[in-house]
Formats: sequence, C-alpha cells, structure tokens
Amino acid sequence: MLPVLFPLIMVVGGIAGMAGVPLPGIEIGIALSILALGLAIAFAWRPAEWVALALIAFFALCHGHAHGVELPRAADPADYAIGFVLATGMIHLFGIGVGLGLNKPVGGRFARMLGALICVGGVYFLVLALLAV
Amino acid sequence: MAALGLFGIAAMALLAGKSPLARWILTETLAPQRVLPLIGLGAACALAGTQAFAAALLLFGVGILGGFVAQDWLLWMLYGLPQAPTHLFMTGPISYLAVGLALVPGARLRPWLLPVAALVAGAMLALVTKLTDPSLHEPVYTWMPVLVAFWIVAAVALTLRAFRRGWFPIFGRILGSWLLAIGLLYGGASLLPRREPPAPPAMPLPGAPQSVPGADRTNPGLPAPAQPGPFPGGTDRFRQP
Repeated sequence: MLPVLFPLIMVVGGIAGMAGVPLPGIEIGIALSILALGLAIAFAWRPAEWVALALIAFFALCHGHAHGVELPRAADPADYAIGFVLATGMIHLFGIGVGLGLNKPVGGRFARMLGALICVGGVYFLVLALLAV
Repeated sequence: MAALGLFGIAAMALLAGKSPLARWILTETLAPQRVLPLIGLGAACALAGTQAFAAALLLFGVGILGGFVAQDWLLWMLYGLPQAPTHLFMTGPISYLAVGLALVPGARLRPWLLPVAALVAGAMLALVTKLTDPSLHEPVYTWMPVLVAFWIVAAVALTLRAFRRGWFPIFGRILGSWLLAIGLLYGGASLLPRREPPAPPAMPLPGAPQSVPGADRTNPGLPAPAQPGPFPGGTDRFRQP
C-alpha cells in the first residue's frame, strides 16, 4: 500500500502548493522525514501499518507541497508532472533495490549503518530548517 | 515484434532530418506524455486474463474509431473543462486517469475496468492525433500514430505475458498509482489558473533626467563633444569635399 499511496498523497500536496495554499513548516517536515526514516532503518523499526501510513501520508504532503510551490510558472505541466512522479518512483525503486540488496549481507548491519548516516543528514537539514524560521 | 518496432523507430530517427512525417512521429506520437498511458494499458492487458486482454484490444480500436467519427461531439463535451482548448482538451490527463484506474484496484476489478479504460484511451488517442495533425488532411498522419499506439500496447502486453513473474501484479499497482498521480497533477496544473509573477521593481529609464546622481554634470577640463554629422558613427572625416 505504501508505494501506491505515496505518489497519490504527494500529488494532493503538490496541487495545494500550486494553488498557493499555505502549509507552515514544510521544510521542517521534510527534514523530519529524513530523520524519521533514517531512524526507522537504523533501528530496524517495523511499525503497525496504520502508523506507517499516517507517517508516510504526512511526509508525502510535505514533499508534494514543496514540489508544487517550486513549479516554475512557465513549465510545461505535462513534462513537469511526468518528471515529478517518475523521478519519485525511480527513487523508490532504487531504495527498494538497495534495501533488498543490503538486507542479506552482514545480516543487514550495513543497511542499518546507512540508515544512521541518513539520520545524521536529517539532523543537519532539521537544524538548517529551524535556523531559517 | 518489439524488436521490429524498435528497428522502425531507429529508421525514423535516421529519416527525421528528411521526412516531416518521421520527425512528427518522433516528437509527437512517441513523446513521453503520449507513450506512458499506452505502456500502462499494455501492462494492464498483460495482467488481465486472455478474454479481458482481447476485449481491451478490441475496445481500444473501437475507441479510436469512435474518437475519429465523433470528434466534434467529444470536443464539444470536453470544451466545458476549464482551459481545455489550450491543453489539448485534457486528452492527456483523461488517458492517464483511465489507465491508472484500471491498474490500481487489483486482479478482481481489473477485467471490468480494463475494457472501459481501453475505450477511453483509444478515444483520447484519436482526438489528440487529430488535434496535433500538422497536415490537416493527409491520411498517413492519421493511421501512423494509430499503428504506433497499437504496437506499443501489444508489444508491452505480449512481452510482459511472455516473461511473467510473481511480483508483476504489485508493480502493476505501483505503475497505476504513478499514472493516476501524473494524471491528477497534469490535470491540476492545467486546470489551476496560472499565478502571475510579481511585478518587477520600478527602475528609472536609462537616459531619463536625474536617473544617475550627478550624471548631468560635466568636467569643465574636457573638450566639448563633437556635434554629430550626417554619417552615423562619426564618419565625417571620410566625407568627400
């Protein structure tokens, strides 16, 4: 359900961003998504499905809104929409591939280490976002 | 079949410099926004049973034929959508949404939704073919895009059916969600009124009086500027007596 729902909820955020609907703290939400997902990988956290859906929905709204706001006014909507969704989808596929590939060797410890690194990146972005407020 | 089509595309790429038709097919018929719903339709056909696959191909053809025959009526129906005439009457978003809806729900509903999606996608293909036809009357500009579309759908469907894997249904649903998202975003971006950029800050015109502080003052030590002659660029010295 998660890979199916993420682009759809992201589009809701994207259209809200394009329509100029203000959502405060978007950059903080994006930084929190990096931090939370990095923590989830690092601690091999497997939440209940509704918790994962709620978290992913919130993060998808933040990411989609940021894309929608940044939509260049002169851009071709078709190319923009295709690039936006396909790039996100390709990143998902890449992540799934990396996760599957790194899950077996060294008992998944390498993948968890990468999660910790993502977590550090999340902290960095969160500090930047908080400083910019 | 897929390889033959790819050879055909390669030949068109070689001919693109000489033939307007080959160039038009490469830039319009094979444009990513036109190809993606056809790939999705092919994937949905591959995931459906043989009967639904056959029905979908048949209704895709019926949709194309109906789109050509009832073109004016369809355009009149779509004209009511906001900003439709400037966005090819929303044929792109409608195709994406129809095919995406056929892929997302799963195996139980797909056999019922797929033929409807094929019919809608076919009609939209016919409309966009007519709307982007640069010749306005040449039959080859009508049947070539139809042939290419049938090739894309059939090549994707038959290739996926030949190499079927257990994870294909999951990937089909993910692909469907992507197509739905593209359709919603594409449609939303087209329907929403374009925001006007903020007005640029007021700048004084160059040469306007007092545009630069002190620009009107001259150095009394310099010779007075020469008066311009009849020849541009100060070429008076070449004037014949």
